[in-house]
Amino acid sequence: MKAWLNFSPSIVNKTIISDLIKNFDIHFNILRADITPKGGKMLIEMGGNQSEEAIKFLEKEGIQLTPIKKVVKKDEDKCIDCGACMSLCPVKAICPADDWTVDVDDKLCIGCGFCTFSCPTRAIKVTE
Amino acid sequence: MKTVEEINQRIKDGDAVVVTAAEMTRLVKENGLKETAKEVDVVTTGTFGAMCSSGAFLNFGHSDPPIKMSRTYLNGVEAYSGIAAVDAYLGATQPNRNPDVGLEHGGAHVIEDLIRGDEMELVAEAYGTDCYPLTEIKTQISLDSVNQAIMVNPRNCYQNYAAATNSTDETLYTYMGTLLPKMGNVSYSSAGELSPLLNDPYFQTIGNGTRIFLCGAEGYVIGEGTQYATDVERKNGVPVSTAGTLMLKGDMKDMDPDYVRGATMPKYGPTLYVGAGIPIPILNEELASRTAISDEEIACQIIDYGIPRRSRPMVMETNYHELKKGVIELDGVEVPTSPLSSQKKAIKIAEELKNWIDQGEFFLTQPIKKLPTKGRTVKPLEIQRPSILVKDLKSEVLILARPTDDISEVARKMVQNSINHLPVVDENNKLLGIVTSWDIANAVAHGKRKLTDVMTKKVIIAREEEPVDVIARRIDKNKISGLPIIDKDNTVKGMVTAEDISRLMGGD
Ligand code: SF4
Ligand code: SF4
Repeated sequence: MKAWLNFSPSIVNKTIISDLIKNFDIHFNILRADITPKGGKMLIEMGGNQSEEAIKFLEKEGIQLTPIKKVVKKDEDKCIDCGACMSLCPVKAICPADDWTVDVDDKLCIGCGFCTFSCPTRAIKVTE
Repeated sequence: MKTVEEINQRIKDGDAVVVTAAEMTRLVKENGLKETAKEVDVVTTGTFGAMCSSGAFLNFGHSDPPIKMSRTYLNGVEAYSGIAAVDAYLGATQPNRNPDVGLEHGGAHVIEDLIRGDEMELVAEAYGTDCYPLTEIKTQISLDSVNQAIMVNPRNCYQNYAAATNSTDETLYTYMGTLLPKMGNVSYSSAGELSPLLNDPYFQTIGNGTRIFLCGAEGYVIGEGTQYATDVERKNGVPVSTAGTLMLKGDMKDMDPDYVRGATMPKYGPTLYVGAGIPIPILNEELASRTAISDEEIACQIIDYGIPRRSRPMVMETNYHELKKGVIELDGVEVPTSPLSSQKKAIKIAEELKNWIDQGEFFLTQPIKKLPTKGRTVKPLEIQRPSILVKDLKSEVLILARPTDDISEVARKMVQNSINHLPVVDENNKLLGIVTSWDIANAVAHGKRKLTDVMTKKVIIAREEEPVDVIARRIDKNKISGLPIIDKDNTVKGMVTAEDISRLMGGD
């Protein structure tokens, strides 16, 4: 998962992140960080066996956690319903309707981006 | 039974019965051939696919002072201008000359932009003559400002086209779209039962001069397309693979941007999606039965694009009914399929053309001259330099390493023989991995002692039967400097390096 962690000024001095990494079986990657004595934000990517426990720990320590979800969006004006993207989607999130309109189900999408790169009209995009 | 004149009279009177090719298939099934042949006057077809062999003739008009353009660029895309002074032909697959744009906005995109009515930059260069003194021009043009913008597509509407898959371990980017490794997907490009030339497989009605729907405008068949072939295997009357093609022409000033689209096949290049629809007059029962053909009756071969040779091996033969289901069974595995040409737009085009005829706005034509029905095959291009195979490379003494070899031992071997790559093999000389001098340096730097810790196990290889040009491309694509030569049994036969290849290519 990817998420923004919000640090309030009262906790910026605590060693929360290093405690997190030491105590939980997770893999953890900091993608962006902007933290000053006045508080701030950090964008992280996290996975692994104890992700859920890790999230609980962060919340207990006073960090506000806002998960971000990748959504796939198709520009209907650009899309020509060629279906080139259909067979590339690993989770079958792209399927044709009865009239061969190519529909994308963003609930199934895992944000892999295969469709984006292979769309001949650059109509389909994954955004956060 | 009927004549084109009679049908045109009925169109004029508003009495003509017009159906799409998909509807025709159903009608004949339900009401029988005899009845339907009597009832139906016209069947409309449609296709909206990537047709690389497309382009446009443009006449820009004369400037003052005048110029004889020898190079022209439209928004950075070169159009061929070795035709008179201010004419040019813009090909759909031409990439942009700006390397940052490259394949993303090429000839096909400029054609679409023109049809949309966009203004664009024209840059022209010339050598200057007494009658055409100007040597440079930079100005803005649009569809309205040019004298003519005529789409002339040398090869459209392939009668049938093989579907593509990829047996190799790497993703391939082709004009048939992205092909996933290990036959991970299949892409096909024909509209099947809606496709124009599959509904008139012997060219009984479609010929030189046939009036058609082209990108939302009235267009014409102006002859056989390039790579036209007749002597092909058929099933149920229709070719099982590529056969007939058409050369099409239409006025871009009348076209609708909804039915034409510039596109880029990833890492392949620009191509134009062309919307074409052809009406077929139902003059007799035979034509009725031809147009009643269903997806199930149209065979399609699936071909392995993993083999980059002129004739690629067939994996299996199937039909469009199966392909359109979205998954197909290949060697016992369910593999997803992609149409590549828009089935939705193909239906829309057939419907639109039907509408034009229903409204009395479009009349049918008789061909001025029939298209050839026999004696045409597609000849290959023989190249001067016969393609050299990997096994023809003269191989130096083969130096190999064993997984148990000590790093310092391997380093010495490399220095002694002044080589940079060493295949690692088992006792039967079967390939296990490869080490480069860089791997060795890295091992030494990190105090590693065992070869198996530093060798690359996923090795990019060259097979003995592969042409050297294919290997050159592989070296380039993977940014590597050499690769082991392997026979059928995975035994290492030698090494081929980037230097060997450049020596070979520069040498003759
Ligand atoms: S590949 Fe692009 S244009 Fe084709 S159906 Fe998918 S989103 Fe639409
Ligand atoms: S991003 Fe990946 S998972 Fe999402 S729709 Fe595209 S191909 Fe499917």
